[in-house]
Amino acid sequence: MSIVQINDLKKYFNDVRAVDGVDLAIDQGEFLVILGPSGCGKTTLMRMIAGLEKPTAGTIQIGGEDVTELPPRKRGVSMVFQSYALYPHMNVFNNIAFPLRAQRRELKFDKRQMREKVVHTSRLLEIDMLLDRRPRQLSGGQRQRVAIARAMVTQPAVLLLDEPLSNLDAKLRANARDELRDFQRSSNITAVFVTHDQIEAMGLGDRIVVMSEGKIQQIGSPQRIYDDPANEFVATFLGSPSMNILSANGFRFGFRPEHFLPKTLHDSPKNSRIFHYYVKRVEYLGSDRLVYGYVHGHEDDLTLAKVPSNVRASLDIEGDYEFAVHYSDIKFFDQDSGRRIEQQNLAKVL
Amino acid sequence: MGALVWILHNFWTLLVALVLALVGLRIAWRFYKYGATRAELAYILRRSPFYLVVLTFCFFAAAPFLIMFMHTFKTDGDLYRRPQPFIFRQDPTLEHLDALFNNTAYLDFIRNSVVVGLAVVVITLALSLPAAYALARLTGRWGERAGILMFLVYLVPPTLLFIPMFRIVVLLGLKDDPMSLIVVYPSFTVPFSMWLLSGFFKAVPPELEEAALVDGYNRVEAFLRVVLPLSLPGIISTIVFTFTLTLHEFIYGLVFIADTSQRTLSVGVPTELILGDVYFWQPLLAAALIIAIPVGLAYNLFLDSLVQGFTMGAVKG
Amino acid sequence: MFRLAYPLDNRRFVGLIFLAPALLYIVLLVGFPFLLAIAFGFSDVTVGNTDLNFVGLRNYLAVWENDIFRQVFETTIRFTLISQVFILIFANILAIIFTQNFTGKWFARFIFILPWATPVSLAMIGWLWMLDTKYSPIDYLLLQTGFLGPNGILSNNRNLFWLATPDLSQISVIFVQVWRMTPLATVILMAGLSSIPTDILDQAEVDGARFMRALLQIKLPLILPIMVIALLFSMITMFGDMTVVYVLTRGGPVDYTRVLGLYSFQVGIEGGNLAQGAAISLFAFPLLLAMAIFMLRTASRAEVQ
Repeated sequence: MSIVQINDLKKYFNDVRAVDGVDLAIDQGEFLVILGPSGCGKTTLMRMIAGLEKPTAGTIQIGGEDVTELPPRKRGVSMVFQSYALYPHMNVFNNIAFPLRAQRRELKFDKRQMREKVVHTSRLLEIDMLLDRRPRQLSGGQRQRVAIARAMVTQPAVLLLDEPLSNLDAKLRANARDELRDFQRSSNITAVFVTHDQIEAMGLGDRIVVMSEGKIQQIGSPQRIYDDPANEFVATFLGSPSMNILSANGFRFGFRPEHFLPKTLHDSPKNSRIFHYYVKRVEYLGSDRLVYGYVHGHEDDLTLAKVPSNVRASLDIEGDYEFAVHYSDIKFFDQDSGRRIEQQNLAKVL
Repeated sequence: MGALVWILHNFWTLLVALVLALVGLRIAWRFYKYGATRAELAYILRRSPFYLVVLTFCFFAAAPFLIMFMHTFKTDGDLYRRPQPFIFRQDPTLEHLDALFNNTAYLDFIRNSVVVGLAVVVITLALSLPAAYALARLTGRWGERAGILMFLVYLVPPTLLFIPMFRIVVLLGLKDDPMSLIVVYPSFTVPFSMWLLSGFFKAVPPELEEAALVDGYNRVEAFLRVVLPLSLPGIISTIVFTFTLTLHEFIYGLVFIADTSQRTLSVGVPTELILGDVYFWQPLLAAALIIAIPVGLAYNLFLDSLVQGFTMGAVKG
Repeated sequence: MFRLAYPLDNRRFVGLIFLAPALLYIVLLVGFPFLLAIAFGFSDVTVGNTDLNFVGLRNYLAVWENDIFRQVFETTIRFTLISQVFILIFANILAIIFTQNFTGKWFARFIFILPWATPVSLAMIGWLWMLDTKYSPIDYLLLQTGFLGPNGILSNNRNLFWLATPDLSQISVIFVQVWRMTPLATVILMAGLSSIPTDILDQAEVDGARFMRALLQIKLPLILPIMVIALLFSMITMFGDMTVVYVLTRGGPVDYTRVLGLYSFQVGIEGGNLAQGAAISLFAFPLLLAMAIFMLRTASRAEVQ
C-alpha cells in the first residue's frame, strides 16, 4: 500500500523547470532512493514532499490525505539535511526533543513521556551517552545519528534524507550506510533518500527513482535499473565506467564494459556478437584491467572493456583482438528519443 | 511651479491617496494573478497587520522629513502667524531655497564636505585595502589580534580625543583648515573600512589567488589583479560608507574649524544658519532634507552589500 | 636568509608591509592623542597657556568633587541604558521584518534608513522644529485632538515645552536617540539573521516549529553574539555622543540633558580649560573599556560555547 502518492507534480522557478510532471507512489516501509545528477530536481522534489516548497502544480498525498497545501508540521514527515542542521546552541537532548516540543499540541504527551521518547530514540541510535553534548563536540558520524534521532523521535510516516552521507569521509560512509539500512529495516519506517551517488543508491534502495531534467527516467529495483535501463540516460548514468554507446543504422546500441570480453572467454560464440577491437591503452586496476580502444567501424567512439585480472589473455597496446558481447547484454536505443527498443530483430541487423 | 503649488496644497491628501492607491493596486494584482477567491482574501487579511506595523514604523521614521519637506516651501507669515503646520494657507514659495543657495554659505559647506570626504576616501582606501587583505589572508594570530585592536580603536569615541587632537591641530597650524579634518578623519574611517573590506576579501575563494600564484604572480600582484577586481562591489560600498561617515562627523568639525566658509555641512548648517537665537527655519530644514535624501538612497542601495561584508567580517573575525 | 629570498611571495612579510601603514597611522592618530589626553588630565594646560605643568590628580579630584559632573555622568549613563532597551526591542522587530520578503520592501527600507543615513546634526534640526517650544507640529496635533489647550488632558497650556522641562527634555532626547540609532542596530541584526544557515530554519519548520518558537528558540539564540555586538556599538556611540544634545538643548534646561561629551566640550573648548576638559572625558574611558571587553567576551563565549 502506498503511503505517499504524488500526482503530476511540477515546480517552476520562473523559466527553470526544476520538477516537471512527476508521478510517484512510495510504499509503506520501503527504502526509496531518488538518484540523479545535480540540478535534476531531486532535492526540489523532496522539499515539496516535506512542504518546504510549494508546488506550481500537482498534488501530494501522504497516508491518503492531500497535504499539498499543508505546512510541514501537519504532514507527519521529518527530514535529515545534508548539513544535519543540528541546532548549534542546544545540546543533543534538546535537539532531539525539539520536534516533540514543537508538535506538543499535535502529538499530545506530557514531560515524562517526552523524556522517555528522547531517551528511547537515542538508545536506538546508540547516542544515549552523548545527550549533554553540544553539536560541535560531536564527530561527523555522531552528528548524523543525532540528526536521524531527531527526525525519528516523532515517529513520522515518512523520513526524508537529503544526501546525509555526503559530509562523511569515505571510510565512515560505508559504515554509516549499513547502519542506516539496518536501522530503517528494523524500525520499518518509510525512507526517501536523495543522492547523486549511484553506489549509495544501489546499496541502500529497495527501489531507485532515476531523475533527470525534472522528470523521472525510470523506477525500479537497483538490479533492474542496472540490467534493464529504460533509456540511454539511465544506461549511461549508472555503472562505472559507464556503458559503451555506439551508433548503427537508424538506432544506437550499448553494452557494459564488463560484458565486453575477448572472444575466447565466451562459451558459445554463436550467441555473441563479435567485434574487431583495436587496443589503445590498458589500465591495471588490480582486480580488473580497464582497456581503452576502438571497435572496427566505430573509430569515433572510445570503447571500454573491463577484463578481470585472472583472465590470462595478453592484451598489447596497438594490438588487434576479437572481442565479443553476448546478444542479451546488448541494449538498443532509439536514435532520437534515446528510449529502449526491443532487440530481437535488431540483434540480427548488427 | 504650478504643479508644485498644487501638490503642496494637497500634500496629505495626496500622500494618503498614494498609499491607498498602491495598496489597492497590489491587491488588484494579486486578485488578477491568483483569482479573487475567499482564500486569497483571507491571505490578504492575514498579511495586513504586518503591513500596518511596517507603515507605523515608516511613519515614525519619516515624520521629521515630511515636516522638513513641507516647511521648506512655507512663507514666513504661514510659518509663524497662528501656525497650522500641516496645511498651506499662503501659496508655497521657493524664496527660501533661493536664499539658502544664494545668500548663505551652504554651497561652501557642500564643497568643503565633498573635498574632505573625497580626500579621506582616498587616504582610507590606500591604507585599509592592503591592511584589510593582510587581516583577511596573510597574517596569523598576531594579525587577528591587530584586527581586534582596530575594532577597539573604532570604539574609542571622538569625545575622548577631540581635546588633545585640537592641540595637535593648532600646533600643526591646521586650525580653520579643512586639511585638519582630512588628516584626522581616517582615525575612524580606516578601522571601519578595514573591518568591512576584510569581510569582502574573505568572500573571495583562496583557490583563485593560489591559482594566480601558481600562474606566476607574486602575492602583491595576486592581490592587485585577482582579489581587488573581484571585490569591486564591496570596495564601492566601502567608499560610499566611508564618505558618509565623514559627512556625519560633527565634533572634530565643530572644534577644529571656526571659520564659516571653511566649515563642513554637518557643522555649518546647524551653527551658521542660526544667528544667535534667530533660526532661519525654512532654509535650515531644506538644508537638512537636501542632504538626507541622497544619502538615504545611497545607504539603501548599498545596504545589502554592507550587511554581507559585516557578516563575512564577523564569521571569522 | 632563504625565507626572504622572495619577499613578495612571503605571507608574513607581505602581511607586515600591508598592515604596517594603517596600523602606524592609527597608533599615531589615536594612540598619541590618547596619551596626550592623559597627560593633559594631569596638567594645567589651557587654551591661553599651553605649557604643560604637572599638577597631579588635581583635575580629576576637582572634576570628581564637582556636583555638575556627577549629575552629567549619571545622566549619560541613564540616557545610554534606557535608550538601549528600546533600541534593542525595535531593532529586533525591524530586523525580522526586513529579512522577510514583502511588497514595497525597498521603499520601506529607504524610509526607515533615513534617520541613520542623515548626518546627525542635520536630522536634529528636523527634531528641533518638531519639538519647538512654540511651533511644534506635535503640540499642534495634540492641541487639535484635545490633549492640550484649555481643558486639555495633558496640560492646560497650548504647548508641552518638549525641550524646556526637566522630564520632557530627557524623554525627548532619549526618544530622538532611539529614533536615530535603531536603524544601525537593525542592520547589524539583519546581518546576523541572514547568516543563519537556511537548513537550520528549514529543519525547524519540518520539526514543526511555528513562527514564535522558531524565533525565540532558534533565531534569537543564534544571533545572540551579534546582538551583543550591536548593543556594544550603539552603547558606545551613544555614550560618546554630544551632537544630539548640542543641537537640541545645549545641555539645558539647567543641566538636565547635559551629557559627558558635551560637558567636556563646554569646559575644555568653550571654557578654554583643556586640562579639565580632558580629565572629564577620560572619566568615561575605563567605563567604555570595561563595557567593550565584557561584551566582546560575552560575544565570543556565546559563539564558542
